[in-house]
Amino acid sequence: MHILVVGLSHRTAPVELRERVDFQGRVESALRALAARGSTDEAVVLSTCNRAELYAACQDASRARADLAGFMSEFHGVDRKALAPHVYDLQDLDAARHLLRVAAGLDSLVVGEPQILGQVKEAHTLATGAQTVGPILNRLFHASFAAGKRVRTETGLSSGAVSVSFAAVSLARKIFGDLSGRSVLVIGAGEMGKLTAQHMKSQGVQRVTIVSRTMAHALHTAEAIGGAGAVPWEELDAVLCASDIVITATGAGSTILTKAHVEAVMRPRRNQPLFIIDIAVPRDVEAAAGEIEQVFLYNIDDLQATVQENLARRASEVLRAEAIVAEEVSRFSQWLRSRGAVPTVVALRQKFENIRRAELERLDFKLSSLPTEARPEARACVDEITRLLVEKLLLTPTEQLKALGDQDTLAAHAEALTRLFGLSPSPDGERETVRASADPEDPPTGREPSRRVEFFRPKSKPSSGSGR
Amino acid sequence: MNSVPLALYAAALIAYAWHFARRSPGVGLTATTVLVAAALAHTFVIGMQTMEAGHVPITSTTPFISTFVWLLALAYLYLEMSTNERAMGVFILPLLVALQTIPALNPGVEERSAVLQGPLFSLHVSSLLFAYASFALACVIGITYVLLFKEIKAKHLGFFYARLPSLQVLDRMNQWMIAIGWVFLTIGIIVGLMFAAQVRALPSAAVDPRVQAMSLGDPKIFVALVCWAVYSFETFGARRLGWGGRRTAYLSALGFAIVLLNFVPISYFLTRSHDF
Repeated sequence: MHILVVGLSHRTAPVELRERVDFQGRVESALRALAARGSTDEAVVLSTCNRAELYAACQDASRARADLAGFMSEFHGVDRKALAPHVYDLQDLDAARHLLRVAAGLDSLVVGEPQILGQVKEAHTLATGAQTVGPILNRLFHASFAAGKRVRTETGLSSGAVSVSFAAVSLARKIFGDLSGRSVLVIGAGEMGKLTAQHMKSQGVQRVTIVSRTMAHALHTAEAIGGAGAVPWEELDAVLCASDIVITATGAGSTILTKAHVEAVMRPRRNQPLFIIDIAVPRDVEAAAGEIEQVFLYNIDDLQATVQENLARRASEVLRAEAIVAEEVSRFSQWLRSRGAVPTVVALRQKFENIRRAELERLDFKLSSLPTEARPEARACVDEITRLLVEKLLLTPTEQLKALGDQDTLAAHAEALTRLFGLSPSPDGERETVRASADPEDPPTGREPSRRVEFFRPKSKPSSGSGR
Repeated sequence: MNSVPLALYAAALIAYAWHFARRSPGVGLTATTVLVAAALAHTFVIGMQTMEAGHVPITSTTPFISTFVWLLALAYLYLEMSTNERAMGVFILPLLVALQTIPALNPGVEERSAVLQGPLFSLHVSSLLFAYASFALACVIGITYVLLFKEIKAKHLGFFYARLPSLQVLDRMNQWMIAIGWVFLTIGIIVGLMFAAQVRALPSAAVDPRVQAMSLGDPKIFVALVCWAVYSFETFGARRLGWGGRRTAYLSALGFAIVLLNFVPISYFLTRSHDF
C-alpha cells in the first residue's frame, strides 16, 4: 500500500489558480467522486485558503497519481495543462512528512499559524464521515495531529503576533488582561485604524468610539466597524479621558496629542493605564508622551519591530519543530513497516493453529478410553494447554518480525519463514492483513465493516490454497 | 527534620525555574507536585514538633520562621491553583528556600515560657504569620509587575512578556494580597497590644525583662508599626494619589523588606520584648 499526496499550495500556485481549485464547501462531494473512481483505497481532501491537497492510500501509485491530478482538473473544470506546472505529488514517507509539516504549521504562508491544525482535523473528520478513511490515512492523520500539538506546546513556533494589528491587540491584552469592559478610541477614520479597532472589537472590548475632524467620516468608519460610536472632534478630551486604548491614525501631518495634553488627561484618570497606538505617519502623538507613568505609547515602527522579532523568534524555532516532525515521521514509518510483516505473521499463526486443531481431532479418538463424563474436561484442558503453547512459541518470532528495520530484510525473513514452514496465504489474506495490522491502540476510523471489505480488495495471489 | 522540606523546596525551585524557562506543561505539573510534596513533608515536621512541644511551634524565632515558610508555601499553592498561573513560583521559591535554611541549619528549641500562654498570644502570632505570608506574595507579585512593566515600557518584549500574566492581573493580585495582609497585620497588632496589657497584670511580669520591654521603644514593635504605616498608606492612600501600578509594586517590595528586617535580624539580635 502506498501513500500519496497530490495538490498545490501558496508555494507553487498563485492565488488566482488556488481560488479555482478550492474544494471548500464541496469536500464531501469530492470525496464521493474520488471513491467512485476506484484508483485509491483511502482518500482525504485538505482544502484551505492556501492549499488544495488530495491525500490517498493506494495499491498502484503511478495510476493513482495520474488519476488524482486528472480528478483535480476535472472536478474544478480547470485545464489540466494549465494546472500541471503548479501541482506537486509526493509518495510514501515524503507524503507523510509533508502532511506532518503542514499540520505543524511549517508549510504555512505565515510559519507557525495555528489555524492549519484545526483545518487538517476538519479534513480528517469530513473524510471519516464520508467513510473514505482507512487504517493507513487514519494513522497518518493522527500522527499529524500529534506532531502539530507537540510543535505548538514544545516550541515557540506559534508564539507572538505576526501582523501589526495583532501585535497591538496582543500588547493590549498584556497590559489590561481581559479586554472586555475596556473602551477604545480611534482618532482618525483611516483604514489601518479601522482594522486595528475591528481586531480589538473581536476581542470583546466594551466600546469603540471614532473621532474625526469630519463627522461624516467618523460616522462612516463607525458603521464599517459595526457597533461603534462616533463623536465630534470637540469632544476628543472627554472621550480620551474615558478610554483605555487609543488608536491614532489621522494622517494630519502634525501632532494631535502632546505630552502636556496626555498628562492633563491622566490626572482625572487617576493614572489608570492608557495604551496609545500611533499608527499614523507622520506620527500623531508626541514621543515624550510615552515617558508618562502608566502611558504605554507604541508607534507603527515599534509594532513592526515587535512583528519582526516574533518572526525571527519563530524562524529560530523551525529547527526544533522539524526535529519533532522527524520523530513523528519515524514513529509512523515504524508502524508502517510493521504492517509489512502482518501477512507472514497471519500465515504463520494460521499454520500453527491448523496443526493444533488437527492434533486435537486426533486426540478425540484417544480420549474415548476415558469415562464419558471426564472427556469434556480433559479436552478443554488439552485445548487450553496447546493454545498457550502455540501463543508462547509464536510470540518472539512475531515481535522480531514486526521490529525489522527495512523492507529488504523483512522480505528476506518472510521468504525464509514461508519456505521453512511451507506457508501459503489464505484467499482472505489481504483482508486479514488489514484487520490484524490494526493495532488495538489505533484510533477508530469510523468506517463500517462492509465498507472496509469493499475498500481493501484482496490481491490476486499466486497460490490460492487455503491453509484452513 | 527541617532538611527534608528544604531539599524538596530546593527541588521545586529547580523545577519552577525550568518551567519558567521552557514553559513545558509537564515540567510545570512536576514543579507543583514537588512543591505539594514539600508542603506535606513540612506539615509532617510541624505536626511532629507540635506533638513534641504540646503546641504549634511559634513561640521561638526559628520554629516561627519554619511555620512561616510552611504557611507561605500553602498560600502560594492556593494562589497558583486559584489563578492557574505558575509563573510566580520561580520568584517565591527562592524566598522559601532561603528562609527554610535557617531552621534546617539551626533547628532551635521550642520553649514556651509562662507568659506566652492563652488564646490572645496564639491569635497575635497566627495573625502576623498570615499577614507576613500575604506581604511576601505581594512583594513577589510586585517585583514581577515591575519586570513586565519595564519590558513593555522599553518596547523590548522578551522573556517576561512571554511568561507573565498581564499587568492588570498582577496589579489586582498585588492589591488583594496587600489588603489581606493589612487586615491580619492590624488584627495582630491590636491583639498584641491586648496581650501585652494582659501579661503586665501577671505577678511574674515584674521580673520578666521581656514584658518590661514591651513598648514603642522596642525595635520589633516599632518596626511592626512602621510596616503597618507603609501598608496602610498603600491600601488607602497611594491609589487615591494616583500611585497605581509600578509605584504600589515598589511599595510592596519596600514593605516586605521591612517585614524581613523585623523577621530575622531584629528578632535574633535587637528585640528585647520578643526575645523568646
